[in-house]
Amino acid sequence: MKIGNVEVKVSIVAIAVFVIFTIFLIVASLSSPEVRSQLIWLVPALFMLLVIPTALNYMSRSQYANIAPVYEAEAKTVRIKLINESMVGKPVRIEGVVERVYYQWMNRPQYLVADRSGSISVKMFTSPDEDVKVNDIVEVYGQVIHRYMITGDPVINCVLIRKIKKS
Amino acid sequence: MAASDNSGREKQAEEMSHRWLELAVPLLSFGGALLAFIILITNFPLDFRISILGCVLASWVLAYLAWIRPRKDIVALTTPLYSFIFIAVPTDVFSSVVLEVLYAASLTILLVRLKYQFGTTASAAYRLKELAAPLKTYIARTSGSCTGISPGSGHSAAVIFVRFAEGNYGEAARESGTAAGQLEDAGTSSCLTRAFKIVREHAALLDKSLPRPQVFLTFSPDDADLLAKPVSDSPEKDHEFYTTLDNALLLLFSAAWNTSEKDRIHLLACEAFAQKLFMQ
Repeated sequence: MKIGNVEVKVSIVAIAVFVIFTIFLIVASLSSPEVRSQLIWLVPALFMLLVIPTALNYMSRSQYANIAPVYEAEAKTVRIKLINESMVGKPVRIEGVVERVYYQWMNRPQYLVADRSGSISVKMFTSPDEDVKVNDIVEVYGQVIHRYMITGDPVINCVLIRKIKKS
Repeated sequence: MAASDNSGREKQAEEMSHRWLELAVPLLSFGGALLAFIILITNFPLDFRISILGCVLASWVLAYLAWIRPRKDIVALTTPLYSFIFIAVPTDVFSSVVLEVLYAASLTILLVRLKYQFGTTASAAYRLKELAAPLKTYIARTSGSCTGISPGSGHSAAVIFVRFAEGNYGEAARESGTAAGQLEDAGTSSCLTRAFKIVREHAALLDKSLPRPQVFLTFSPDDADLLAKPVSDSPEKDHEFYTTLDNALLLLFSAAWNTSEKDRIHLLACEAFAQKLFMQ
């Protein structure tokens, strides 16, 4: 679904929640007249279960789209080996091969990206523009952060990930 | 010998005073709350607001303990500000007791957090922590070659290593250019001078996100004994280029560690990065 220039993706979790509660509501309204009398606000509330995640996804993706050019201008291209705890807060650009992809179904994908010097986790807090798969060669723009906010190994909070073709 | 004994005694006294200060945080804060509680149940003719001083003093002690650590905890540092609210906001004696108990518990939790998440105090961290192998072995191996290096050059090496680890490549390039120039002006053309120049070249390229040049600086074959990693004869230029940088950075780390003792705290903070450089 596209809103303006932003491609909005609703996660499978949000859809599953909507479906489960729709079934609950249908069963409850068939068996109880009291529930049927409340449908006037229960049905809109049910649709909010889809509208709210969609709106959140739209907002986060439009925010990411706005800050991506800033990262493209400011980030330094580094080898993964050079990324360390002292670089927390720095915008960086890396190039590498996607070795693993996690949590894509939650719209919070996490990639393990490797170059010849090492590998690093790349976390994204919204869905990416492109469908990135294992073995894709990508460039990643993002900020170095701790894995668990204040502690843990350095990872990249990804703002932009896109496939590149290497000659 | 006597000087080292004195220094040992001073360090012990300093550690002891820090332990007392750590103990003072829960003692003062809970002590204040206890005093307020006694005033509440005995109706003692004393202004209960005097008990708030316990929390105020405990906050200042906690802030001091946060201040003397190399990693600053902003939450602990700002507790005196919050303690001011105790004085500024008028309240009754019962609310004051509840608030002080909660505040004392919060300060104690912050103290535990400070101790376990923000490490030991600056001086203790420097004394207690040792470098791990292979970095430790490399520094011991190269310590003999660092005897001629001035503390000034050692300090420059430390600053450049830290700036490079932080990703401040522009600054690292400028600093290493200056350091290499100073060594050359002094008539020294050592392995360290070459290391400064190599770091300058790499940092300048990284700062502009440029790729590897066709021709790049390397160490001379005479420097082989001082290098951490062997530069293979493989025709692959990328490997040689990046191994040369690793060797240059590790040489700066060693020079800094061996000649600029006051910078060791900063070098220890970058140890994980230095250890990473040993990987192929």
